[in-house]
Amino acid sequence: MWVSGSTFQLWMIAFFTLAIFSVLYKDNPFYRLVEHLYIGTSIGYSVMLAWFQFGKPTIASIIKDKPHYIIPTIIGLLIYCRYFKPIAWLSRYSLTFTLGYSAGYVISKDFRPLFITQLTATVQPLWSSQGLGSTINNLVLVLGVVGTLTYFLFTQKRTGVIGAGSTVGKWIMMVAFGSAFGNTVMARMSLALGRIQFLLGDWLHLIK
Amino acid sequence: MGFWEKAQSLDQRWIYLLLVLVIAGILFKPVGLAVEIKKETQAAYDAIDKLPASSIMWLGAEYDAASAPELMPAMMSVMRHALRKDVRIVGGAMWEQGGNMIERAWNNIKAEFPNKKYGEHFVNVGYKPGGGIFLQKMLSSVSDAVLGVDARGTQLSQLPLMGEFKTLKDAKLVFAFLAGDPGTNDWVKHVTDPNKITYVAAATSVSVPGAMVFVQSGQMTGLIAGLSGAAEYEMLIKTPGRATAGMDAQSFTHVLVLLFIILGNIGYVMQKGKKAKA
Repeated sequence: MWVSGSTFQLWMIAFFTLAIFSVLYKDNPFYRLVEHLYIGTSIGYSVMLAWFQFGKPTIASIIKDKPHYIIPTIIGLLIYCRYFKPIAWLSRYSLTFTLGYSAGYVISKDFRPLFITQLTATVQPLWSSQGLGSTINNLVLVLGVVGTLTYFLFTQKRTGVIGAGSTVGKWIMMVAFGSAFGNTVMARMSLALGRIQFLLGDWLHLIK
Repeated sequence: MGFWEKAQSLDQRWIYLLLVLVIAGILFKPVGLAVEIKKETQAAYDAIDKLPASSIMWLGAEYDAASAPELMPAMMSVMRHALRKDVRIVGGAMWEQGGNMIERAWNNIKAEFPNKKYGEHFVNVGYKPGGGIFLQKMLSSVSDAVLGVDARGTQLSQLPLMGEFKTLKDAKLVFAFLAGDPGTNDWVKHVTDPNKITYVAAATSVSVPGAMVFVQSGQMTGLIAGLSGAAEYEMLIKTPGRATAGMDAQSFTHVLVLLFIILGNIGYVMQKGKKAKA
């Protein structure tokens, strides 16, 4: 059993699941009630979790042995100044720090693993010694990358080599979108499956 | 009104009903379709299997309840596999509910491991905000990054396992469970790529295309892809569970969806042809 708890808890979960599913038939008060409860509880849950997992330990650390943590804490809290008109301008300092830090950080951290390594990985031998399958894979990869990049050459007329390349790129992207859509359908089916497994298994004990 | 016209204007509630009936019917009467192990799943399994006993692996729960049906079976199987190999686990999360997901997975399997104790063989440091910045801090000091306490509020100094896990670099393997952002990009650019730590992941089906590029580039050693990947992992550790049980139902629903797509397209073409003639 995945979902453990008292009988009351199981019945509550089942009620919420069925109430959410009921919108598939038509909009109704049960769905509305559960939708609002979901939004309210999830926000409340997030706030409390952030407090107990981060806020409270941070304050404890400042008091105990890390008084310097007060500096980033104050910079972070400045963001709430936007709710008070006379000092709203102070909230910009939080954003300034976040933007400046993030921009520098992204440039220094992203370049090698997310660009150079990925770029290097697309340089493949067009004739692989590992067999025909591997050769086809490499060809698709190389042609796909070159074709897709060519598709985004908007400053050139799509004729000749550029036109052929962009057509290859367009088809490769369509296949990629189709694959992504297929994966999305699969994910949604898994979610539906998970709820039905709960209803028939954990709740009604009709399946193992 | 002909058949194709009727099919084009079919009330979508019939499709929902049919899907539920197919899933429920197959769950009641599984047909036992074969589960074929993909090489990415095998690589994920091998990565844990070759870890030396007593080594420590990091379990990153970058998902929430919405992705639990897909990722929880994989997480339970990975934890089972690691604990059977005497690999110790430290878990944490960049997603709010991730810490709870780790706790739930541990609660679901701990009865199978009466000799494994919290604090000695497994620790959950829970959710911490910051995404990549949190990971960066973990590379210099786990204690500082998690503010000295685990998800249950226990001081790290009271947990023997954490005495040996001072920074993320002490992890022999990072196993992340991914449902979006923060996720793979953060792990690759901050931790596994610069520090040459083996990186393996389980991803929701939606996230699989995004994760696959890292498998192809060699930055990710193995990948458990969606519920089907979880079922494969359950077969590899010889402990069939929810994922294996759901595979038949999922396969049949896919066939049903394919059927609807084909019928929908045929109907569209037929109607278009009729309109052109008229």
